[in-house]
Amino acid sequence: MKTNTNPYIPYPATVEETWYETGGDRCIKTFKVVFDDEEVREEWSHLPGQCAMIGVLGVGESMISISCSPTEGKFLRFSVMLMGKVTRALHQLEPGDKMMVRGPYGNSFPVDEWQGKKILTIGGGIGQAPLRPIVEYVKANQDKYDGLTMIYGARTSNDLCFKGEFEEMSKCDDLACHLTIDVEEEDWEHNVGFVPQMLLDLNPSPENTIAITCGPPIMIRFVLENLKKLGFEDDQIYTTLENRMKCGIGKCGRCNAGNMYVCKDGPVFNYAVLKEIPEAFA
Amino acid sequence: MKKIIAREKLPELWKSLSELGPLFLPVQEGPVVLFQPWQEGAETNLDTTNTAVPPKDLFLPREETYMQYRCKGKELEVIPAEEVKPAVLFGVHPCDLYAVEMLDKVYMEQDPPDELYKKRRENTTIVALSCASPDPFCFCNDFDVNPAEAPGTDVMAQLKNGSVLLEAKTDKGKALLEQAGDLLEDGSGEEFARREVKTADFNLKLDGLPEDLKNRFEDPVWDELFKSCLGCGVCTYVCPTCYCFDVEDFGHEAGGERFRCWDSCMYGHFTEMAGGHNPRPGRKERVRQRFMHKLRYYPETFGQIACVGCGRCLRSCPVNLDIVQAIQALGGETVEQR
Repeated sequence: MKTNTNPYIPYPATVEETWYETGGDRCIKTFKVVFDDEEVREEWSHLPGQCAMIGVLGVGESMISISCSPTEGKFLRFSVMLMGKVTRALHQLEPGDKMMVRGPYGNSFPVDEWQGKKILTIGGGIGQAPLRPIVEYVKANQDKYDGLTMIYGARTSNDLCFKGEFEEMSKCDDLACHLTIDVEEEDWEHNVGFVPQMLLDLNPSPENTIAITCGPPIMIRFVLENLKKLGFEDDQIYTTLENRMKCGIGKCGRCNAGNMYVCKDGPVFNYAVLKEIPEAFA
Repeated sequence: MKKIIAREKLPELWKSLSELGPLFLPVQEGPVVLFQPWQEGAETNLDTTNTAVPPKDLFLPREETYMQYRCKGKELEVIPAEEVKPAVLFGVHPCDLYAVEMLDKVYMEQDPPDELYKKRRENTTIVALSCASPDPFCFCNDFDVNPAEAPGTDVMAQLKNGSVLLEAKTDKGKALLEQAGDLLEDGSGEEFARREVKTADFNLKLDGLPEDLKNRFEDPVWDELFKSCLGCGVCTYVCPTCYCFDVEDFGHEAGGERFRCWDSCMYGHFTEMAGGHNPRPGRKERVRQRFMHKLRYYPETFGQIACVGCGRCLRSCPVNLDIVQAIQALGGETVEQR
């Protein structure tokens, strides 16, 4: 890559497409961006689970999970929830505008290690953003995995991200997509109820299976409990952490949890490891 | 290579060395001594034990703009900060140099390196000065730091009978002494005085402490220890092994800069996320984090406790919530036993 020796210098990228995934005060907007420099574009490589520091000059940067799989093409996708100063500035960006990007940061989901296994993703709300690259990655490499089951829920149908992509998934034999919302709605054809309960109802076998969960802390807590009830061992379960971050390379100290830096040693953690980290669930 | 110079001729040496680049050395600034760039007439003070603030800011400045940007319509220009110039750090004491080596592990040895830090570190020639007499807060003996020796230095120096004896330990150090030329006299016949420098020794129980703390995250000690903390952050500011920083932007659409500056885990905003969630919401969590990092997390990664016994937190903490108090509380001793 045409690297700056200083790892904190971001690269300009152009926003190609944007759309809103959800509405409301904490709406989620997705950005498809492409690096301006051809060399940077060609040499960039990331894996499902990794993040990037994205930002707007004059405002700042935020660590956001890359919500596309490298199998999708030479672009990046970020789905950003409106939360604070930087995400507000990001939400102003429209096609043609510049976004500053550096990374990729962090470890990744060990997709190679998982080959030959059944993949079960359990997501809630914006938590589907880091799971989406796994779904896309497995879809693109179906011969290497023993099927994919996706459980995804949100408060209402309007709060579900990536809605347009699920229908196609349910047509594939090896891919099962289960959607749920918290409260009954007119014209809703899928499940009604919380994600952890839906997991129990589906009763997936832990045999040769990897479970990955991302979502609100309360959901993760009950999903972990229910996975244990279903007989999943700790090392079959993965999740991701998010902390405030500034540098992205394990120096600035902000995302320190135990002897780990979430930006460098995470964001992906095996539950067997995570259980031993103080403050992991703080 | 050994050289010697009379103390009264030191200003000439400063002048010569400062031609290489900025020369940082202990300078009396009112009531305190700080590492400052030497200027003609500077009131240097080599007899002080520890400067008020450690010299970590030479490598990790309190504030540095590392990038500027300019936008003109669709044209965007990102301008990284200029290359760093060579510098000399003169008169750093062994404890502070041990601490710099602890920062090196995080900033240079762990991938990817922090190039801003690394370039400064590589471009700086260090002259360490052995301690003659420790000040009352020094307790480096507790950490097996020998205040008379500094293994990582480029040049070792010792104050000796109205002279300064200098010995080059690296090629960089040799080049520095050569720069001074005839100002330095041959010191090959001189010996460094063997000194047993005794600092305070709190007899801290450090063996096995990192291991012991593994199961003490929820220890009742934390419920008491934090209570006096004011959250002022001075401990992190003066600590030579504290290295956290913040990154902020300053500017507008047409242009501006991105800079980083020291930050502190003792401040509430440090971990507060957009949306308001804070994994360390109170002083208890923050005090625990700071001491756990020094005594457990850093040792777990790098095999040594992140303290060199420089005594600055003992001197500066307004409520005496220093690392000695913490270690003693965690070691089961009451503060009164101190």
